[in-house]
Amino acid sequence: MSEDLILKVKNLNVELGREQVLEGLDFDLREKEILVILGPNGAGKSVLLRTLLGLLPFKGEISWRKNTHIGYVPEEFTVSKNLPLSVKEFFEFKQVGPSEIFQSFKWVGIEASLKFLEKRLGTLSSGQLRRTLIAWVLADTPDVILLDEPMVGIDIHGRETIYDSLVRLWQEKNQAIILVSHEIGEVCKKADKILALNKRKLFYGLPQNVITPQNLAKIYGASIYL
Amino acid sequence: MELQFIYSLIVSIFIGGVAGFLGSLMITKRMALVGDALGHVALPGVALALIYGFNVSLGALVCLFFGILLIWLFEIHTKLPMEALTGIVFTASVAIAFLFLPETKVSTALIGDISQIGLWDTLVSVIFCIVTFLVLKKIFSKMILSNLSENLAKVEGVDVEKYNLIYLVCVAIVVALGIKVTGSLLMGALVITPAAAARNIARNLSQYSYGALLIGSVSCSLGVLIFKVFGLPAGPLIILVASLIFLISLVFKQK
Repeated sequence: MSEDLILKVKNLNVELGREQVLEGLDFDLREKEILVILGPNGAGKSVLLRTLLGLLPFKGEISWRKNTHIGYVPEEFTVSKNLPLSVKEFFEFKQVGPSEIFQSFKWVGIEASLKFLEKRLGTLSSGQLRRTLIAWVLADTPDVILLDEPMVGIDIHGRETIYDSLVRLWQEKNQAIILVSHEIGEVCKKADKILALNKRKLFYGLPQNVITPQNLAKIYGASIYL
Repeated sequence: MELQFIYSLIVSIFIGGVAGFLGSLMITKRMALVGDALGHVALPGVALALIYGFNVSLGALVCLFFGILLIWLFEIHTKLPMEALTGIVFTASVAIAFLFLPETKVSTALIGDISQIGLWDTLVSVIFCIVTFLVLKKIFSKMILSNLSENLAKVEGVDVEKYNLIYLVCVAIVVALGIKVTGSLLMGALVITPAAAARNIARNLSQYSYGALLIGSVSCSLGVLIFKVFGLPAGPLIILVASLIFLISLVFKQK
């Protein structure tokens, strides 16, 4: 494995309940890279992330660089309104100090007051909850972050702040990001590499080379101009 | 006589506390009625213990492990929902118990009796309570995290299956202990009611879990005290005190 290689995936196949969900995928991830995964609904993007995390059985090869600390922002994260779990207690699962907590909230554009930390997690708005989850994942500065549709419910200003933090911080530290998203316009500007899939690989490469109306039509079934 | 009363008071305070604490986790995991069902699964063991004069909790525990094993095996073989299988096992257990449970022991089996507890029993129960509480305290936050998102917990390195197993063993132990205090029929309330009351008034997780512990202990001690004064059975009194606290908690419910 070369020095800056963080993840290498070779001939990855995933079968769930007799259905082939992913077929023959090859790609890699290097330091400072942002890999964006595109694909229509049901293409297996979330399954790919969960497989990379070791949560699903697979055939083929997934090799992470040794001692890689991975953070994961799942697509679905809801908290029952009446669960008495405060924001502060949610961060206690991570065993991080107050300075890390406040820092990670800054990264997602929230000025966290003590009063905010005392709030029940279930009473936050969906956008606030989403940002809090991202802050939670960032709090112990993982080497690689896997984000599955992270910005759903977050306003445009929030999205910019979060993308800026992610790009700036994680690239500064030679760390990397894998991002699943539907917001092709917004996201592809930040991407270093794009992997488009629909069960199998549709295209893979640098955004300027692969984001063409013809290729986007392969994903979404109609020509799209950015 | 006085010493006997102090023993019952001590045992019920400890069992009420650990049952309340466990209940806060069970409600969060939407398993509130499991305590109730398991209380019934234990009934044949309770009946045998009452007939042959050995510790009720021991009889209950053996029966519970057997019952849980059966449910687990049925689940693997039938793929029917867990609650349906639990329903089958718990009603069958009640039916079996009533084949040989003597009429004079029915009330003790169903609503408990801690008025006759000895020093040895007290000591063993208290030790079991403390150990179970410490184990639950250790796994508590990880169980809550895996309840929020199992995938997130696994990525954070939590061995979810292992923790679930430890949790289920704790549930079996607490049900076995609780049956001594409130009997098979009322055991479920010992885990549900104090935790539900605490959930109404708690602002955060520690207020919730320790509030449930406190309400469990207070309900048990008040129940046993009222039993001492009026001579009514302690098990139902404990549950009624807990229910009253639940009603009061509604007034202070967090919005």
